[in-house]
Amino acid sequence: MITMAYEALDFYDVDSLLSEEERMVRDMVRDWVDEEVIPNIENACREGVFPDEWRVALGEMGVLGAPLKGYGCPGLSYTAYGVICRELERGDSGLRSFASVQGSLAMYPIWDFGSEEQKNYYLPKMASGEWIGCFGLTEPDYGSNPGDMITKAEDKGDHYLLNGAKMWITNGTIAEVAVVWAKLDGVIRGFIVEKNDPGFSAPEMKGKHSLKASVTSELVFQDCKIPKDRMLPGVKGLRGPFSCLNNARFGISWGALGSAQACFDSAKDYAMSRIQFNHPIASYQLVQNKLAWMLREITKGQLLAYHLGQKKDAGVWIPEHISLAKMNNVDIALEIARVARDIHGANGILDEYPIMRHMANLESVKTYEGTHDIHNLIIGRHITGIQAFTREA
Amino acid sequence: MNIAVLLKQVPDTTAKIIISEGKVDENSVSKWSMSPYDEYALESGLQMKDANNGLLIAITCGPDRSKKMLTDAAAVGADTLIHISDEGVKDSTHTQQLLAAVIKKFDANVILCGKQAADTNGGSTGPGVAEILDAACVTLVSEVSFTDGKYITMRPSNNGTEKVSVDGISVFAFDKGTTELRRPNVRGIMMAKKKAIESMTSADLGVDLSSSNVTLDSQTPPPEKAAGQKFDGAEHVPTVVSKLRNEANVI
Amino acid sequence: MSFTIIAETNGDTLHPTTYQLIGAASSVGSKSIVICPNGRAASEASEINGVEKVISVVGDCFDIFDGGAWSAALNSVCEGKILISASPNGREIAARLAAKRGIPVIQDIVSISEGLTVERPIYSGKAVETLTISGDAVITLRPNAFDAAESGGNAPINTVNQSADIKISIQEAINKASERLDVTEADIIISGGRGMGSIDNFTHLENIADIVGAAVGASRAVVDEWGMPHRMQVGQTGKTVTPSLYIAVGISGAIQHLAGMRSSKYILAINKDPDAPIFGVADYGIVATWEEAIPALKSALSALES
Repeated sequence: MITMAYEALDFYDVDSLLSEEERMVRDMVRDWVDEEVIPNIENACREGVFPDEWRVALGEMGVLGAPLKGYGCPGLSYTAYGVICRELERGDSGLRSFASVQGSLAMYPIWDFGSEEQKNYYLPKMASGEWIGCFGLTEPDYGSNPGDMITKAEDKGDHYLLNGAKMWITNGTIAEVAVVWAKLDGVIRGFIVEKNDPGFSAPEMKGKHSLKASVTSELVFQDCKIPKDRMLPGVKGLRGPFSCLNNARFGISWGALGSAQACFDSAKDYAMSRIQFNHPIASYQLVQNKLAWMLREITKGQLLAYHLGQKKDAGVWIPEHISLAKMNNVDIALEIARVARDIHGANGILDEYPIMRHMANLESVKTYEGTHDIHNLIIGRHITGIQAFTREA
Repeated sequence: MNIAVLLKQVPDTTAKIIISEGKVDENSVSKWSMSPYDEYALESGLQMKDANNGLLIAITCGPDRSKKMLTDAAAVGADTLIHISDEGVKDSTHTQQLLAAVIKKFDANVILCGKQAADTNGGSTGPGVAEILDAACVTLVSEVSFTDGKYITMRPSNNGTEKVSVDGISVFAFDKGTTELRRPNVRGIMMAKKKAIESMTSADLGVDLSSSNVTLDSQTPPPEKAAGQKFDGAEHVPTVVSKLRNEANVI
Repeated sequence: MSFTIIAETNGDTLHPTTYQLIGAASSVGSKSIVICPNGRAASEASEINGVEKVISVVGDCFDIFDGGAWSAALNSVCEGKILISASPNGREIAARLAAKRGIPVIQDIVSISEGLTVERPIYSGKAVETLTISGDAVITLRPNAFDAAESGGNAPINTVNQSADIKISIQEAINKASERLDVTEADIIISGGRGMGSIDNFTHLENIADIVGAAVGASRAVVDEWGMPHRMQVGQTGKTVTPSLYIAVGISGAIQHLAGMRSSKYILAINKDPDAPIFGVADYGIVATWEEAIPALKSALSALES
C-alpha cells in the first residue's frame, strides 16, 4: 500500500484514450516505479550503479522488447511501449535508457534482421532479462555521422575478425550480448558479439554528470574473433541501425514526458508549500507563469506522443514523424527541468529533490539517439528536399 | 477448493473527496482502486489457490465501473469474475445478501475479504455474509492457509497473536496481511483482457431488495478544524492532551 | 423507550465504553437494558444511572471469542435498537446480530440525536454521513466520542443460561513483546529532531510510543547525523505519512520535513523556539524544552490510559 499515489498531469485526459491493456500496463509500471525505484534512485545515482534488482523486475513484469511479437516477447502495441518508457523515465532517464537499449536497440535488430536460429537463441533470454543487450554504433570520432564509421569486420573464412572501438554504449559493461555495426568490405553490417568472445572488452566510462544510474561503456575490439553465424543476415547499410534508432526515439518521445511530469509535479508541490513573504510562492504571478507554461508544453507533448503512437501502431509513419516528437519532447522536458529547478530555489540543488538529476539526465537524452540539431535538419530536409548535414552534395 | 474473494472498488485512498449538494461527488473522483484490505485477501486467496489447485472466484457488488477492478484481479490470477449490479442496493444488508447468493451459487468453501472498505469504513460485510451462510467468521486476520482439512489463520490476541483453526466453511476478514498483493505482469494483463466478466442483478439471484430502515440524510465535509492553538510552557501539556482526546478525538 | 446495550468488559470490570453507550442512550431520552456476556461485571452495570435492567447471559461459548457463537447466544435477549461499542469484537457481533435479525447495522457513529439521527465518519474521515434510523437497527459507537453515564443506579439483574456452538478453535497463543509499529502503519507517530539533543534521548519518545501504541519517527538531521535507521525518517527523502496524530518534538519544521507529514490529521508540535516553522502547521503547539514537556506528556497520557 502506498500512502501517496502519483497523479500524473494529464490536462487534456490523453490517457483516457489508451486501451484497457495499455492502462493496466501503465499502472503496473507506475506502481513498481513508486515502490522500488523512487525510494532508491538517489542512492543509485550517488553510487553510480544500475541496481540489478531493476533488471530482474523489468524481466518479471515482461516489459522488455515491448512491441516485439513472438520468441517470448511481450507483443504489446507501440503505444504501450511508449507508456512504459514514460512511466520508467518519471523515475529516471537512466532506467528508461536500460529498457530502450535492451528492447529497441538490441532485441529489435535480432528480431527484424536476424536468422530464425538467432531469434530463437537470443530473444527469449533477453525478454526475460536474463541476458542484457547493448548496441554498438557510435564511435569516438563518429557520432552524428555514423556512416563513416571505421570499425571493421573481416571475413576470415571460418570466422569474422572485428577491429575498432565504440563509445557511449549504454549497458556495455554489464551486457551478455552486443549488437555491433561494422563495415564488412565497406558495407555496414550487424554482428552479434558475446561477452566472452576473445578480443572483446567493455570497460565502463566513469565520471559522468548525467545518467549516473546507468552503465555507459566503451566497446573495444582488438582482433575480436566471432563465429560466422553471428552476422545479421537481414540488412545491409545504415538502414539497419537507423531502424533500431527510430524505435528507440519513439520510446524516448514518450519517456521525456515522464521526466517532465516528475519535474512539474515536484515544482507544483514545492511552490504550494514554500512560504516567502508570508505567502506560498505559488501565489506569485511569475511562479504561476512558469507552472502554466510547463502545463502547456507537457500537454502539447502528450498529444504529439499519443498521436505518433497511433500512427506507429497503424503502420502509417515516416522517420521524420519520430524525429519531430523526439526533438520536441526532449527539448521541452529539459527546459521544464531547468525552470522547475528555478522554482525550487536552493533546495533544487540537493538530491532531496529529483530536479537536477532529471535536468542533468536530459542533457544526455537531448544528445543521444540523434542530437536536437540533427533532428532539426532531418525535418528541414523533409520540408525542402535539400540535405543540410554536410557541405558535400 | 472454491475460494471466493469479495472485492470492493473505492476511491483511491489518496484521492480528494469532493462533496456537492449534500453528497460525495463520485464523478470528481480522480482514481478508483481496489480497497486496500481487499488486496491482502486477494493475495491470500491466490496463495491458497496455488497451494491447493483451487479456483479463485472474484466477486464484487457495485456499478459498471467496478468491472475494471475484476479485470485487475484476473491479471494477477483470479479465475472467475462475477459482477453483481448494485442497482437497488440501499445498505450493507442488501450487499451481504447479494454476495451470499453468489457464494452459494459457486459453492465456495472459503470466503476472503478485507476487514472494512476504505470508503464506508463499515466492516459489516464479512461477518454479515458469514451469518447469512451460517458460516464461521474470523476477523482481523493476517494470513490464511489450508492444512489437513482445516483453515489455519492468525489473528491478534491480547498478548500478541493467536493461531486459530476452523473446520468447515468460513469467512476470513483481513487486516494488514503478511504479504502484499503480487504485481501483475504483461502476460497476466493480456490474458485478463480476454477474460469474460459474468454480470448479475438482484433479480437474477432471486434476492428481493426490501426497503431499509435507514435513510441517508446527507454527506458533508468534516467539521472545520479549529485554528492552531499555541501554548507557552510545559504546564499546558495536560490541557493539550485532554484537547487531543475531547476536541480532536485522536487518542 | 429502551435500547439494548451489549456490555464490553476489561477482565471483570466494565470497559469505559459501556458507560459511554449508556450515556448515549440517555442523551436521546432512552433507558438501557444492559446485556452482560457470561455475566461479567453485571453488578457494576446494575449501578449505572440510566440502566433499566441487566441481563447476564451465561454460557460456555463466551470462553473464547467467536463472533458467530456470541451473537447467537446474545440474540435471544436482544430487542429493538441495539448499541454496541465499535471495538473489533463489537463490530463483528453487531454485523452478525443485524444479519441474523434482518435489520440494518450502522458502524462507528460519533454522534446521536433524537429522530433517531446519527453521524459517522466515512472515507477515513474525509467526509461525514448523517443517517436517520426509522426502525430497529444495530449501532456501534466509536470509543470516547460520547459522554459517559455516571454511577448511581440500582437496576435488577436477571440471569439467563444460553450458549451456542463455537466454530473456531484456538491452536496456539503467540505472545510477543509488542513490536513497535512502522511509521507508515501507525495511526499515531511521535517524531524527534535535532532538538532532542542526542540519539539516547529517543528512549523517552519510545516510552510515550509504547503508552499509546505509536510509531517513532525521526527527521533527516537525526538520521544522517546520529545514525537513526533510515526507515524511521519522515520527510522529502524519507517516508510520507498520514497518521491521525503526528507529534513533532524538537523538530523545527523545514520544508523537507513538512513534505512528509503535512497531511497528518492533527499535528502537535513541541519546540523551545516559539518561531519554529513547525508551529505554522501545528494544530496544537507547546513552546517548551523536551526535557520539560515529555515527562508531562508521559504522565498525562498514562493517566488517560488507566
